[in-house]
Amino acid sequence: MRRVAVVGAGMTPFAEHFALGIKDLLPMAFADCAASVDKGFPIADLEAAWFGAMGTTDGFPAGVLADALGLPELPVTHIENSCATGNDAVRNALYAIASGAVDVALVIGADKLRETAQRDLLGEWESFNRDKAWDVQLGMFAPAGFALHVNRYLHESGAGREHLAMVAVKNHRHGARNPKARLRFEITMEQALSAPVVADPFGVYDCVPQSDGAAALILAAEEVAGRYTDRPVWVRGVGLGLDSVMYQHKRDMTTFPATVRAARRAFDMAGLRPADIDVAEVHDYFTGIELMSYEDLGFADRFEGRKLLETGATSVGGALPVNPSGGLKSKGHPPGATGVAQCVELFEQLRGHAADQVDGARIGLAHNLGGPTAVAAVTILEGPGR
Amino acid sequence: MAARTGNEVGNEDRRQAVPCVISIGTYLPCWGSTRRRVLGDDEDAVTLAVQAGRSAVEAGEPVERVVLVSRDLPLMDSSNAAVLLAGLGLDPELEVIERLGGAPAALDALSSARPRTLVIGVDTDPAGAAAAYVGDRGGTQIRTAARVTRSLPARTRNAVGAVHDYGDPRLLRERGLVASLSAAWVDTPVAVAGVDEKQAAGLCRGEPPRLPTLGASAGLFALTSMAEWGAPGLLVGVEQANLSGISVTPGPVAVRRVEPSARPLPEGECLPAADLPISLAAYDRAFEAKVRWEAGRHAGSDELDFPPRYRLAADGTLSTGYTLVPLPRTGTVHTTTTVRIPVPGLKTPYSLVLVELDEVGVRALARVTGADPGAVGIGDRGRMVLRRVAVRAGVPDYGYAFEPETEAS
Repeated sequence: MRRVAVVGAGMTPFAEHFALGIKDLLPMAFADCAASVDKGFPIADLEAAWFGAMGTTDGFPAGVLADALGLPELPVTHIENSCATGNDAVRNALYAIASGAVDVALVIGADKLRETAQRDLLGEWESFNRDKAWDVQLGMFAPAGFALHVNRYLHESGAGREHLAMVAVKNHRHGARNPKARLRFEITMEQALSAPVVADPFGVYDCVPQSDGAAALILAAEEVAGRYTDRPVWVRGVGLGLDSVMYQHKRDMTTFPATVRAARRAFDMAGLRPADIDVAEVHDYFTGIELMSYEDLGFADRFEGRKLLETGATSVGGALPVNPSGGLKSKGHPPGATGVAQCVELFEQLRGHAADQVDGARIGLAHNLGGPTAVAAVTILEGPGR
Repeated sequence: MAARTGNEVGNEDRRQAVPCVISIGTYLPCWGSTRRRVLGDDEDAVTLAVQAGRSAVEAGEPVERVVLVSRDLPLMDSSNAAVLLAGLGLDPELEVIERLGGAPAALDALSSARPRTLVIGVDTDPAGAAAAYVGDRGGTQIRTAARVTRSLPARTRNAVGAVHDYGDPRLLRERGLVASLSAAWVDTPVAVAGVDEKQAAGLCRGEPPRLPTLGASAGLFALTSMAEWGAPGLLVGVEQANLSGISVTPGPVAVRRVEPSARPLPEGECLPAADLPISLAAYDRAFEAKVRWEAGRHAGSDELDFPPRYRLAADGTLSTGYTLVPLPRTGTVHTTTTVRIPVPGLKTPYSLVLVELDEVGVRALARVTGADPGAVGIGDRGRMVLRRVAVRAGVPDYGYAFEPETEAS
């Protein structure tokens, strides 16, 4: 397999973009990405694109992308893998380049949640995800599904709601410094703990804000990367993992096997261990997922994830900063864009010019979990200088 | 006056064996007040009927036909029968008679029942259900004593549910209950079903049983009390000016009452929303396992699949040949959450549980019923009960909900 580099990365702000459609957000993200390419990027260099989108806003996604970029000849593959869509799009583009089929490819993710009325968001976006005869009528929305995991996790691990609040406070603190984040304000532990309950143990500050946005990466084979930059970020490992879709079939609710499987594949491919990671973007769709994922990703031993929060290890300035971008929690979560935007943050972190820079970050990990909790994708990136 | 006398009806009676009730089950929702139970948000006449019916034949009494008497059947077109039989765990080949009527109709159904008939009376306001199983012999004997059918439409409800009330309770009493009772030439009753407690007390010998309902189930609730008391005599069921009387000769009856103490229905919020769509193809495929509470088991395997599914062997061959086997109806909460944000189209808050069913390695995802939202915790015990989980595009979607054990139960 050929080595694959990220030579450019960019995104739109994540926000309620009522004034912008998906056909606006896609070229905006691409332009931001192209502008980050050190030696410039002629758009005609693109040989193929992988477009991550969970929804089908304004129609057939692959065609919508080609139209929006003004590239009718571009072969576009639409990737939809629930909330793991973004990092799975990276994985698929990597395989195409590593195999030698393509030299330069676009990975772009976008979703437009706020085309739907707030009242109908749960029903419209959640009904894709549930068994039509057995589950959808129960009111098993994403917060409830994840809450079933986290309540069991808290029950068995001895962690408490305060640990969830620590995640919220940390990610809000990080996100306040990210100009592209949707929620750019800090919160206190008291605010997090006293917020209205969504689905226990989650309060409002344990949940992500529904957002629109797009993010893009340009990937290039090692052989051609030098045309675009002398400081590429390398894709060291990718991994995808799955788990049972129905909650009835998940035997251990205190872990996400999809994440364990995805991480194992990504680390194996990279020849790296969890201890090698300097900075991570972890799928904090709900705060408790970040806490549990510390263990599934190998950053902490079983039921000891909370120690990383108690010691401040996962704050910027700590030993393993997690979600320096503010995470989904503060930045927002347009599902198709989320994983790609995580890699945008890591691209900046590993090249040393992130908004909330982690000193000396050399290796970064991005993680998505979705399905809900039935699919995970992990991408491991390494900064230039190797 | 066009009344048939007790003697004429008695002649018909002699042509067949006297029905003998050998077991009775009752059910009252836990919601409302002691005097007036109300349906839970996930209950209807069919789920009430299933609760009472299952109690009546809990010991495995053989049932050959079911008569469901009510004026509150959820579906007028389509059928309530398949859900009823599935919920009761009975063979889909059985005859089900959906009989429209109140207290007199239920008593008529009982007094004309052949052996091995389950007669269920259901009311939804006040809510309650009672089911009497007619066995082959023994038990409490039922004989028709009187039947009067007269028209006094003081309250009407048409085919689409529009109600009109004439608004004259004294007229209803004088020209309904009292006039029909006098036309029937019967003895002083032990119990009168279908009218309020005060009216009943004024007409009965001694203190009549206090009945939780006023319609089809009321006469069966009265029969339950007479059977428990060992009180022989006349039981009269009334609905406006219609009346049926049965003479009850008590004998041993197994009575199983599921009548938890009453508490207020939790308040909640329900924002309007677009109708939750239904796939009838998916409904149809899931129906047997979902409403009978059964898992799939493939030949040569001990593993249960819930929901049932096709399986692939290691060599890639397909197995479609599973049989449905009953699942346990008791279990322990493995994890739970309570949704408190307003969810359009659903009454919130509500609790969800993942239940570890006893001793089969199968878990079920369910909503909590019969308890206030948030009252259930990890490790709590309870049972799975048939409920109307949702109404989707006009279709009642039945499935199982988790009812936590209470100290009383």
